[in-house]
Amino acid sequence: MECDVIVIGAGPAGSTFSRVAAQAGLDVRVFDKRKELGEPVRCGEGLGEREVVAQDIDIPKQCISADIEGAKVIAPNGKSIVWKDDNTRGWVLERKMFDKWLAEKAVEKGAKIRSYTRIIDLVEEDGKIAGVKVSHGGREPYEVRAPLVVSAEGMESIVARKAGLKAISTLYDVDTCYQYEMKPYDHESLIELYFGNGIAPRGYVWIFPKADRKANVGIGIGAHLTNGEKGNGIEGADPKVLLDKFIEGHAQLKEASSLEDFGGVISVGAPIESFVRDNFLAVGTSARQVDPIHGGGIALAMEAGVMAANAAIEAHRKKDFSKEMLQPYEEKWRSGPGKKVAKRLLLRKVLESVNDDDLNHIFDNLTQGDLDNVMKGSFAGPVAKVVAGRPQLLKILGALTR
Amino acid sequence: MAIKINHDRCIQCVGCASVCPVMAIELDGLRMKTYPDKCINCKACIRACPANCITLIEKEGEKE
Repeated sequence: MECDVIVIGAGPAGSTFSRVAAQAGLDVRVFDKRKELGEPVRCGEGLGEREVVAQDIDIPKQCISADIEGAKVIAPNGKSIVWKDDNTRGWVLERKMFDKWLAEKAVEKGAKIRSYTRIIDLVEEDGKIAGVKVSHGGREPYEVRAPLVVSAEGMESIVARKAGLKAISTLYDVDTCYQYEMKPYDHESLIELYFGNGIAPRGYVWIFPKADRKANVGIGIGAHLTNGEKGNGIEGADPKVLLDKFIEGHAQLKEASSLEDFGGVISVGAPIESFVRDNFLAVGTSARQVDPIHGGGIALAMEAGVMAANAAIEAHRKKDFSKEMLQPYEEKWRSGPGKKVAKRLLLRKVLESVNDDDLNHIFDNLTQGDLDNVMKGSFAGPVAKVVAGRPQLLKILGALTR
Repeated sequence: MAIKINHDRCIQCVGCASVCPVMAIELDGLRMKTYPDKCINCKACIRACPANCITLIEKEGEKE
């Protein structure tokens, strides 16, 4: 079988890439190893409205579980800041529905998707990537050939690694996460984020409201940490014990039921060194295009999906899928969303060396407007406010203003 | 040694695969599949697994 582009993975990155590329007339074949697209969910399902850029689509009602007005950020001492304005609106999605719908959009533009189909290996010819060998549901493998293979595999990124991209994360640069869908939970249409080294070291606990008094209640902590006993008595990161402790201490949640368990490991580190090589590119979480502060990847994946597809369309037009032809995608990403991600990574690294007492001080001194500036990457003002009352924090926070 | 996955606990999040430096674990359909010959005993998967479902066992024919 021959086509123009092979896409591995029908998540937000792969389906967006496929939709845009297929719309331009490319013969796009997508393979996803999951039996059902969208399953299993391993995500908090939050998506900010203003984060969704360059997408020519409207998310339909069935993919949205709850409309969100903003966020409530809670300090270790329980004090909270509500951050709510015209720019903080968003949704908690039904990822199962959302991923499938996004894949259907690609199909409607002409992409062909095959579920339950695993990539066995890359096919190379004369030292160049020329396609993939796939197996549908464990059946006899067959070859599919194309001058471009796109890795939209998510965190696993096994094919990307086989293609020579350094898509591997260290324990320090990932958060390990556990989440329950719970009910009943009465909320104020705000996502709630709880910070503190005792609550969630190098991470946070989230409560994302969903429809019908349900909520995703989850935690992410640094995977390099050693707060629990893992297999063979090895000390390792155990997010579940901390999440269970949080729920036990939460007046509403301790009485609530859990309807589903989720888990996952997400990058909070830097994007991979290079997204492209001859006849190959990586997009979305496979390329570690993830927000290092909140671990969100949907919006970044969709944005990068469009950029990568545009480069692929141009490469197809010139019949040249060399690294140089795909490079504009990488350059566009690094000079746009990449800059924001780099600032978030700096912020993450600075915040992880702040103790709970200092965190309380920081929350005491920041307003909603300051939070807005911090998330936009304008650190100087908020840092000045915080340091004014506690000069010793300059040693840590000063890194943000250099 | 080889990695063993407790499939009753596993939630197929592929976290193990994403931190495995040698691609000794991947999702195969509905289950995680391991390649014992590739495993270098680094324990990254055990430490990162949010479901605490991975242990190291002796490979077949391997003596303690």
